[in-house]
Amino acid sequence: MSTIPQLEPPSVPPPTTPAPAEVRSLGYWRETWQHFRRRKLGVIALAFVAVLCFIALFAPMIVGTKPIICKYKGHVYFPFMGYYVRSWENPIFLKDRFRDVYSTALKAKDPESWAIWPLVYQDPYRRVRDGEWPGQRGNPVGTDGSPNRINWLGTNQQGFDVLAQMVHGTQIALSVGFVSMSIAAAIGITLGALAGYVGGWVDMLISRLIEVVMCIPALVLILALVAMLDHVSNYHLMAIVGVTSWTGIARLARAEFLKLKELEFVAAARAMGAGRLRIMFRHLLRNALAPVLVPITFGIADAILIESGLSYLGFGASPPNPSWGTLLHSGRIAIQQMWWLILFPGVAIFLTVLAYNLIGEGLQEATDPRLRQAT
Amino acid sequence: MFHYLIRRLALAFLTLILITFLVYALIRHIPGTPLTTDPAMMNPGKMPSQTDIQRWEKLYGLDKPWYQAYFVWLGNVVRLDFGRSIPQNNKPVAQLIVERAPATLMLSVTSLILSYLLSIPIGLWATVRAGTFRERAVSTLLYMLYSLPAFVAALYLQLLFYSKLGWLPLFGMVSDNYTSLSTAGKAWDILKHAILPITCFTYGSLAYDSRFIHANMEEVIRQDFIRTARAKGVPPWRVIWHHAFRNTLIPFVTLLGLTLPSLLGGAVILEQIFGWPGMGRLYFEAIGQRDYDTLMGLTLMFSVLTLLGQLLADILYAVVDPRVTYS
Repeated sequence: MSTIPQLEPPSVPPPTTPAPAEVRSLGYWRETWQHFRRRKLGVIALAFVAVLCFIALFAPMIVGTKPIICKYKGHVYFPFMGYYVRSWENPIFLKDRFRDVYSTALKAKDPESWAIWPLVYQDPYRRVRDGEWPGQRGNPVGTDGSPNRINWLGTNQQGFDVLAQMVHGTQIALSVGFVSMSIAAAIGITLGALAGYVGGWVDMLISRLIEVVMCIPALVLILALVAMLDHVSNYHLMAIVGVTSWTGIARLARAEFLKLKELEFVAAARAMGAGRLRIMFRHLLRNALAPVLVPITFGIADAILIESGLSYLGFGASPPNPSWGTLLHSGRIAIQQMWWLILFPGVAIFLTVLAYNLIGEGLQEATDPRLRQAT
Repeated sequence: MFHYLIRRLALAFLTLILITFLVYALIRHIPGTPLTTDPAMMNPGKMPSQTDIQRWEKLYGLDKPWYQAYFVWLGNVVRLDFGRSIPQNNKPVAQLIVERAPATLMLSVTSLILSYLLSIPIGLWATVRAGTFRERAVSTLLYMLYSLPAFVAALYLQLLFYSKLGWLPLFGMVSDNYTSLSTAGKAWDILKHAILPITCFTYGSLAYDSRFIHANMEEVIRQDFIRTARAKGVPPWRVIWHHAFRNTLIPFVTLLGLTLPSLLGGAVILEQIFGWPGMGRLYFEAIGQRDYDTLMGLTLMFSVLTLLGQLLADILYAVVDPRVTYS
């Protein structure tokens, strides 16, 4: 399992050749990684998340109905980019009335054309019809779409393929987790650092703010914020989850800064004339970051849960939205017949949350000296 | 101690004002009012005239800007008047909450008791058998349960027990023929409806609590006084129960205080899945109906409970641990 040196930021100095007599102590990050690596489950979880990232990044190449690359009327195009951002798809296909059915339209409009297709010909946003793809019948509609040879994980009521929705839903789950926690981390670390390092009335004010936000239940705040929007996109959700879930990070960052600012190296930096901001963000943050990563990791799991929960309640991003929670929602409506709409997305949510929890756990053990000694 | 209490209460009071002010501002900015979201108003045949709407807005105090309306609301709350729910035929909010509370309490209290009753033996057993294959298996299972999201578990359970086996009802608290049942039949009916929600409420906290107890026990069991007790020949179960477990009670008590708000808060998603007529559902409905006073009543109740829980945890901390004093 030699994957993912993700935990080591570029800030780790390249190991210089040590003088033979002295034993060079490991850098803080390297030491954390050494401890983290000892827990097999944590490493497996990290590998699992890496695989998920891979799936999310290349989702349109794995499942889709738009060619990865095609030659059309003498030019080369990449229509699959339209899955990432609608406008990245070349407008020529819109002008030539492809109507998203490339398989038949390409040959019909230009017999010379060729294309390389995604691994599975299915679409998360529409139903594949009869005769679109050689040897593949159209997707069934209604409650008949149980898993079969063509739709491996079945189809939903409208005939959209579940596998396609799940693969593309990985993008939503992962990006909601990462982006919202980046927002939360930025707010939380800044406020926590200020409260911990500056102290005094700043600390008092920020602590009150943390308490206020903590007292309002997250889901309540989120539901109210979502209700304020007419058209909800996943970016809205990321922002909302981000601005509501920074309190744990802020509290931990505050505690870390309070502890660290008493240490000698801070006094040394101050004596050398380093400014406040420089001490806070160059000297202290680097040392406080590993423990703060723990609530961030758990926060990613929470954010994924919140997103799928909101989508389940119908409060998520407006359709079409191939989120795992949306699948659960359509499965709950037809719980008597369509078990596959609940089972598969449920497993995906569970495994992702489990993986992030395991990583968080591993980090906690790797960064907490009390737990380190126990092992 | 007394000064500490006064200071804490004053701060909590300030926090409360801030929270309610923020939430009030937030919900008044959700598009629509209780009048416009009422389905009766949507009927094109009976569309109320503009003057009617203005008259009603005046009647309900919706014509004032939100910051003025907030202080009207606050003034009423000080006089213990929590307002009325406009979409629910002007029912007082306090009455609405009292009506819905038993359903949520039934789930949360049962699951709290169940999870403590089960997690203490599991935690202690895991400490005694630490490192054995069986302990590893149980701990891993509990950890996976802890990571299993409650709403996914709820859907799986419904799939299994309702759709495949047909043993338990899908949603609601009582069956349609509830009123015609005998007393025993009524109890059985509610129990059948409550099994799945209680399971979903319990398993997560069960997994968390037993891990929590195990972790704390692991820390205590390494201490010198445990070795001393063992060396004196104290029987093993007594060492675990009297010497070790008692010393893990301090963090446990804190945990207890922090669970206070979740007792009445309910769970929005779970109650929605099970169609359980509790507080979480009330909140969800109130958001959809722009039911300002109900939303504010629930927010107030929830924040009071959270603050109270934190205070209680801190005080209990000082009670069980004589080393802690607040001065």
